[in-house]
Amino acid sequence: MATIDDTDEPDGPLNRWVQRAIEDPERVYRALFYTAMIFFMVTTLFPFYWLLVLAVTPNSEIIGGGFIPEIELFGATVPFPLPVPQGFNPGAFVDVFREIPFHLYMLNSFALAVTTTIIVLVVASLAGYVFGRLEFPGRAVLMLAILAISYFPPAAFVVPLYDIFAGNAVNIPFTDVALFQSIELLNTPGSMVLPFSALFMPLSIFILTTFYGQIPDGLEDAARVEGTTRLGALFRVIMPLSAPGVATAAVLTFISVYNEYFFSSIMATSPQAGNWSPLVGGILSYQTQYTTSFNLMAAASVVGVLPMLILVVVAQERIVSGLTSGALKE
Amino acid sequence: MSTETAGGERESRRSGPLVRVTRWMENLSDTTYAYLLLLPVFVLLGSIAIYPLLRTFEMSLFAQTFTGLGEFVGPGNYVDLFTGNMDRYLPGQPTFLPQSFGIQGLVTSALTMTLLFAFVSVFFETIIGMGQALILDQDFYGRRWIRAAIIIPWAVPVVIQGMMFYLMFQPSIGFLTPPLADLGLLAPTNTLNDPASATFVIIVADIWKTSAFMALLILAGLQSIDRGLYDVAKVAGASKWQQFKHITFPLILPTIAVAVLFRSVAAMRVYGIIDIVSSCTVVPSLSCMVVESFFSGFNAAAGTIAFTTAAIIGLVVMSLILWQGEEAI
Repeated sequence: MATIDDTDEPDGPLNRWVQRAIEDPERVYRALFYTAMIFFMVTTLFPFYWLLVLAVTPNSEIIGGGFIPEIELFGATVPFPLPVPQGFNPGAFVDVFREIPFHLYMLNSFALAVTTTIIVLVVASLAGYVFGRLEFPGRAVLMLAILAISYFPPAAFVVPLYDIFAGNAVNIPFTDVALFQSIELLNTPGSMVLPFSALFMPLSIFILTTFYGQIPDGLEDAARVEGTTRLGALFRVIMPLSAPGVATAAVLTFISVYNEYFFSSIMATSPQAGNWSPLVGGILSYQTQYTTSFNLMAAASVVGVLPMLILVVVAQERIVSGLTSGALKE
Repeated sequence: MSTETAGGERESRRSGPLVRVTRWMENLSDTTYAYLLLLPVFVLLGSIAIYPLLRTFEMSLFAQTFTGLGEFVGPGNYVDLFTGNMDRYLPGQPTFLPQSFGIQGLVTSALTMTLLFAFVSVFFETIIGMGQALILDQDFYGRRWIRAAIIIPWAVPVVIQGMMFYLMFQPSIGFLTPPLADLGLLAPTNTLNDPASATFVIIVADIWKTSAFMALLILAGLQSIDRGLYDVAKVAGASKWQQFKHITFPLILPTIAVAVLFRSVAAMRVYGIIDIVSSCTVVPSLSCMVVESFFSGFNAAAGTIAFTTAAIIGLVVMSLILWQGEEAI
């Protein structure tokens, strides 16, 4: 507070601060607030910093350790609180693409994510329209069923799915009656896009149900009077008017597919870019084939995470609204 | 309209398969139309979720032998699973039920390791998420960037999250292992192949990634609180802590409860992070056991564990939905 009398001021910066804090508790809350903020910033961003440190350190220096240098501070030797790179070798970021075609793995991931997003948007739009705008018997039960299915573990589906995608017969459950012979889908986009679509569709359905439900009936009626078909009204009027909701569903689906591990690692049986192995396969190749090239593992991870960093900064609002509206619904 | 008159023909007079389908659709009742539009959802979820779930259950009803599926045994496999007779089909050392109730016993049992993981990580995620949400709820310069930084871990691919923590704790490079080993939290050598240490690292990794998700849910709860309540409290002379204790916390408690329960269910599916940081034979989560026993050729064992997992999760979700009732939608 500015009213403190100079003659009363205790000695030392800490004592002075304490004195002022007692007179104005607001200061303590502010100090706590900034301390907590810095703590969360450091803990969330530190792993990224560590990847960068490892990526630019020449691999021969990594095994030795010694990332925490000792520094002289007020005459005493103390460990520096952050690891620092041992040397500087940005070449790792080039080698990442040379050792294996890492860009192809990333392209595969993008292709899978875009395909899944399109499928999910179309199917979830139809469902969102139905749940958001139509009244019909069974509505609540169906929504609950979709919600429940979305919480089942992928592990409960994986064994029969793998069998089908390997080209075995599809039997009616609990009988030996074969419905049809499946085509082999392992190592093709189909074996991943289908499970991804089923896995991530429920969240989009809930997001789009909310958004489509908010469009006034009058607008849809007007479009119908103008001569649009029922489906036309959905795709030409309701969907464009709910553009923020559609964008939210798209961003969340894209991120989820790009980040998925379970089916990505199981359905792409050989980690080769030519066999549609996504990002997961690329990074695991470095972990299993170049077991001591820690700088390459780190550099590959940095390259692989960049698209997500950009997406979070650009589409932050959409992610926040989607996660909160979708998840609180659930 | 003008284009139609220029064509000299009204839409309803045109013919062809597309027009016939459109006209048929226009005349459907609301209910039929609703179910027609839901058809793609039914096909997708039916073939990718419900059919495999039924087949998984079917597989679990046949005897497991070392050569393949045996004869029909009904619920026998489930009895075997809970009496420990199924453990020999699990890869590595893990058992299904804990052999002892020490840390070592708990983390080498598939069931208790999964429950322990879900409980501990969700507990810390809730506390940290609450802290992050309270910060994001303030108005300050640069809030947008701080929020982006807090969300970023949520958007990191599982495989890269795994690499981060693998590279932080790998004993030959990770600088974090020696100090934590000195504290007795981690095994000093072979850290990531020690069940207890690997479980610790995996829990830390999950807390790092998922706290942001909890933060966003709690933040939504915080922002729905009527700000007028705080003005009243200020006039009454309540301190910030009293405001939190008597206004904020009781009002967001229901949001937190639902978020915690659903997050716990999701946490029980843990698989990827284990596969990268350690290995499924060291840290035996339920999903891990399904995948490992399936790739060892033990389909009945895989089906039994998979269906047990699904049943546990299904029961929790069903009771939650019943408890929340219509509010859940």
